[in-house]
Amino acid sequence: MAKILIIDDDPDIVESMRIILESCKHKVSVAVNGEEGIKAAKAAKYDLVILDVMMETMSTGFEVARTLRASRENKTVPILMLTAIKESTGLDFNSEVGDKDWLPVNAYLEKPLKPNELLVKVESLLKSAVHKGK
Amino acid sequence: MKAASPPYGLTGSLYWLIRLRWFAVGGVVFTALFADKALGIKLDYGALYSIAAALGVYNLLFLLYLNRVRAAAGPDLPVITNRLANAQIPLDLLSLAALLHFSGGPENPFAYYFVFHMIIASILLTRRASYLQAAFASILFLAMAGLEYSGLWAHHCINKAGLCFLGAGPLPLLGSAAALVSTLFIAVYMATSISLELRKKEATLRAANLLLEEKDEIKSNYVLRVSHDVKEHLAAIQACLDPVLHGLTGPLVPAQEGLIRRSYARTEKLLVFVKALLEITRLKLSKRMETGPFSLLKTAENAVRLVEEKAADKKISLTWSVDKGADLITGAQIYIEESIAGFLANSVKYTPEGGSVELRVTDEGDKVKIRVTDTGMGVPKDDLPHLFEEFFRAKNAKAAERTGTGLGLSIARAVAEKHNGSIWVESQEGKGASFYLVLPKSVPGPGAAGSSVKA
Repeated sequence: MAKILIIDDDPDIVESMRIILESCKHKVSVAVNGEEGIKAAKAAKYDLVILDVMMETMSTGFEVARTLRASRENKTVPILMLTAIKESTGLDFNSEVGDKDWLPVNAYLEKPLKPNELLVKVESLLKSAVHKGK
Repeated sequence: MKAASPPYGLTGSLYWLIRLRWFAVGGVVFTALFADKALGIKLDYGALYSIAAALGVYNLLFLLYLNRVRAAAGPDLPVITNRLANAQIPLDLLSLAALLHFSGGPENPFAYYFVFHMIIASILLTRRASYLQAAFASILFLAMAGLEYSGLWAHHCINKAGLCFLGAGPLPLLGSAAALVSTLFIAVYMATSISLELRKKEATLRAANLLLEEKDEIKSNYVLRVSHDVKEHLAAIQACLDPVLHGLTGPLVPAQEGLIRRSYARTEKLLVFVKALLEITRLKLSKRMETGPFSLLKTAENAVRLVEEKAADKKISLTWSVDKGADLITGAQIYIEESIAGFLANSVKYTPEGGSVELRVTDEGDKVKIRVTDTGMGVPKDDLPHLFEEFFRAKNAKAAERTGTGLGLSIARAVAEKHNGSIWVESQEGKGASFYLVLPKSVPGPGAAGSSVKA
């Protein structure tokens, strides 16, 4: 029901998310790197962007999030960030989520993803966006 | 106390001493010529030149002996060099005393050259031995002075008659002897203090280095254990996925099959990585490798077979040749094959369709040179120095291929190191790359035969 853009360069993770999200009737688009993601988010309006924090090439998820926020079209689009780096870096995103300059996203989830967690998070983000929209 | 053991690096110091002695021979000859021709001092120059000649002869003998001992490189080398050091310095002291005797005896201000020998002794020998050398030099000087003063030995005066202080009573002579002897002992005290300090620091550094190596080994063992555990679980996951994927648990709808296929492929990739990690860690931990004679031609052929299919898929022309003289060598065949296959796999992976990959094994005398050249993407200049580091992948390689362990080339490097060979890459980004592995035809050193890789 919602239009969701996934920006992640891991085709297997993308496929798994696609199947989970489509099971709830969401419409899923995919971008395989940051630049494509930014382009796609400009070209069409999405209800939610799911963004991986670490991409092997091009920009990191942080930069993509900041770029999205800086553009007119995506100032308020909910962004869900995915991370697999918490253990290796010790970075705790809890306190930083929403920080305008550092981590301008609405929520984050750690990989490996559990289908239920993903769906709950996605629904709550979509709901809060609808609230704000009103 | 560690100071009693012969100092480290003594052989090098002995060569240094031998080089210095050539200068001493030259210096003696030059000074004698100058005193004779320019200053017109009347001395027994025959005796002086003979001593210089003797100095040259025993220096040459020491050099030859040291070369021979070092070439033999027996376990008693440190003992022999230590003995040599202890023997050379008294000989030098005797030579200097003899030179002094024929050129003014205790009057000759060059008597202070004894200090140089004290410094050399302090560097090469233990403190006790250095003090013994100082005592020996003092006895030589005092004996010479006493004998010349008492008239038992002839005195070869270098000053004009009347200025000879041997004639001025015992006091000037005793004064100059006391000054020299105290100088020698103080010089030994100072120089040995410094060199002991240096030796202590060196020992500390060596101990620290040993500790680091031990820690590295502990870390490697840890990696080995963890990788083993990870591998076990991965194998179990694959074992569970396999029957499902093959329909043994009932038919799958396409979405199910797709996801399971993906899972299977990802565990496979992780398995490849863990296996490579196990291999490089084992290689690093192994002190020796199992080596034996084998055919490099067959090995190269095996390696080529491994990538043939992939190369054909990409329409890459794959050519190879092995020099006749480079066929039979001794080494760890499995690892060498893996290194060559690693080179080839890399080249095929990073060469675009229609390119070419070439393997050439050439005879280089007592070595063989293995070269793999491709027309691929090349290596960015900044990445070249790191290419053989563990887990390192060049920027453009990462961009082109998501997966890769970053361990293939470091395994090849470890193989090169274990064979006392060398490994390097020549490349320009966008213009292809050449990978080289040079190996000795037979592996020298201990452990080359009959030993095995520690698992």
